[in-house]
Amino acid sequence: MVQSTLALGVEAVGCAAFDAGIKGAFGYPGTPSTEGFEAVELLIHGAQDGRVAQWAANEKVAYDLALGMSYSGHRTLVTMKHVGLNVAMDAYANSALTGVRGGLVLLVADDPGMHSSQNEQDSRRLAEFAWLPCLEPSTVQECYDLTFRAFELSEALQVPVMLRIVTRLAHCRAALARRKTQAPTGLGPVPEAAVQDWVLIPANARRRYVDLLDKQPRLMAEATPLNRLIPGTIRRGVALAGMGRAYFGQLLHENPALSALSRLEIAAYPVDPALEQAFLAQVDEVVVFEEDYPVLEERLGLRGTAQIRGRLDGALPRTGELSPRLLKDALGVEAPVGKAASSLELPIRAPRFCDGCGHVDAYEALKEALVQVGAPETRVFGDIGCYTLAAQEPMAAIHAVVEMGASISMAVGAALAGQNPSVAVIGDSTFGHSGLPALLTAVDSGVNVTVIILDNRVVGMTGQQPSQALDQVERMVRGMGIPDDQLQVLLPVPKQHDANVAAVTAALRHAGPSVVVFRRECIQSIRRGVLKDHDRQERERCTTEVCS
Amino acid sequence: MNASRIHGIVLSGVGGQGVLSLAQILLEALRRSGLHALQSEIHGMSQRGGSVHAQVCFSEAALTSPILDEGGADLLIALEPLEALRYVSMLRMDGHLVVSEEPQMDMAGYPPLDDVYAALKAVRGAHLVDTEDLARRLNHRQAGGMALLGMASRFLPIEDGVWREVIAQRFEAKGARVTEKNLEAFEAGRGLIHDPVGA
Repeated sequence: MVQSTLALGVEAVGCAAFDAGIKGAFGYPGTPSTEGFEAVELLIHGAQDGRVAQWAANEKVAYDLALGMSYSGHRTLVTMKHVGLNVAMDAYANSALTGVRGGLVLLVADDPGMHSSQNEQDSRRLAEFAWLPCLEPSTVQECYDLTFRAFELSEALQVPVMLRIVTRLAHCRAALARRKTQAPTGLGPVPEAAVQDWVLIPANARRRYVDLLDKQPRLMAEATPLNRLIPGTIRRGVALAGMGRAYFGQLLHENPALSALSRLEIAAYPVDPALEQAFLAQVDEVVVFEEDYPVLEERLGLRGTAQIRGRLDGALPRTGELSPRLLKDALGVEAPVGKAASSLELPIRAPRFCDGCGHVDAYEALKEALVQVGAPETRVFGDIGCYTLAAQEPMAAIHAVVEMGASISMAVGAALAGQNPSVAVIGDSTFGHSGLPALLTAVDSGVNVTVIILDNRVVGMTGQQPSQALDQVERMVRGMGIPDDQLQVLLPVPKQHDANVAAVTAALRHAGPSVVVFRRECIQSIRRGVLKDHDRQERERCTTEVCS
Repeated sequence: MNASRIHGIVLSGVGGQGVLSLAQILLEALRRSGLHALQSEIHGMSQRGGSVHAQVCFSEAALTSPILDEGGADLLIALEPLEALRYVSMLRMDGHLVVSEEPQMDMAGYPPLDDVYAALKAVRGAHLVDTEDLARRLNHRQAGGMALLGMASRFLPIEDGVWREVIAQRFEAKGARVTEKNLEAFEAGRGLIHDPVGA
């Protein structure tokens, strides 16, 4: 242990990856995973020892970058939020068959309670689906220690290892003891004899799938030392994972009588059935505390030997986060009584657009243009970013938000069903993430779809990270086949409102696909000077070279 | 302090007011005082002008839960009066509340201010401060947060020197004058609470 510092749980993962000697980190921003990448990025930029930290256009690209780095024999970290893993799922599931060379750790941050997400899917299920190991810390220090362990496991088992954390742990700040930083050491690329393992044509894939299944007992054997069975003195028990483990640990400290309960503490998957059976042999009733899906609860329930309580039988709510209070209620521990809540009605203070945000001007122009073409009731397809806030009253300017990049394809689908005009609203970074192939299809369909790209030059919502689409949006749009006369670039400011309404109206009236780009830098990004250096370099370049 | 018990602080306000920044100063001050401390915060969409809150737990024993129960907080530090009312039930019966009177009313349905103040004053252990007036007197627009922290310090087992160290370090990059102004605001807040009960 060489130094102690304060860190968020998600940052501890980034620190550990750096200290474990990764050659590179990749990711796509998404709450609550973003700061994990940013922590390792900061360390890598500070070290200047040839390591790289690179945001990718989307999570699949990030994962494939990591896989390529692993192939070449280096340790690598890839970060994303839970729904980001859906985007990277093709890469993730198939990398289980190729296996890895340099240790590959996937940090996935789940969001139970949906603090800033569209669902509360459980990444442990995806690890199980891909037949891959998953480690699940419960404290900031464990985030660090288990990330180290994950790299060792990845290289020992030659498979990618998932590190799953949840919002409360990702955004818990605490003291962290770091180990000595290891320099990146390469194992060399995949050896000649194993090259065929990486070519997933059916003949190889069939063989590699059998190899993967054959590896499962070893995966369980490696997981077991991280899981604990602590016998109690009565025939009741608790099964704990993640924050369930953290909350119960605290509760036990305050109520030592709870040590009578047998405890199954899980920090690594797949869980060995023998461990579950040994636990169940000691109890007649178990309460399971885990975040998101009833993964352990269902597994223990299948054995049929004890009464299993948790999210499925109503002992805990079916959805949402765990809390110390929920544990107390489920275990019959008395909860403290506090001051009376105010009797005054307290309306919700919802997040809103920043004062002076260009998105507001863009939406106002769009709404008025829809009136101009006689279609003010048009259902507009939105996308994921700060501009999703427009779904709220009183603006109510977008009417569907599903997943990254969905707006364009959904608008085309609706147009093919006869909606006219059909409108998509998407941010520049989301456009680069997964809007590009959708626009290619939109052009091919030939239907009247108007794509509004809100270009604020950064990934605004997650903290103004650099957008891969920076300064590239028009070229990308043209490249997908939108003709010059159907591409307009507008400045979303109040002064330009009338001209912007006229331009959007023309696009809505055009019978085929058209694109309107509203470009104004995010005001938070301007305030922080995020693009100052970039823009100065561009200006300098333009005085010496011919610029487009 | 009761060694086996977890002590809790809730901080609340509106996105952009610096709730998380105050929480981090608190966390560092507790850590330097030799206590185990955890801080919990929520990032993401809540930052865009919505309600923001953070929690800090501390104890003489090791901690694993960053979350407080209702009725589990000793102290509530609120940068905005309505945002204070949301968390009153987090306070223990003997808990204290330090709150800015300065409202952020740019939202739908903000209750009449007098009702908000009346509700706050009805809470035993509430200490209201007119941060707007304080900021004017100190000629320091952002004095409010530090003044509230100064008030809060009267209820916390952190020595004066530790506070000064942590605050100075926090503002180091912004120069000596900014540091001085923030220390001044902290002291002004500290002076507002006399003879704290239960400190």
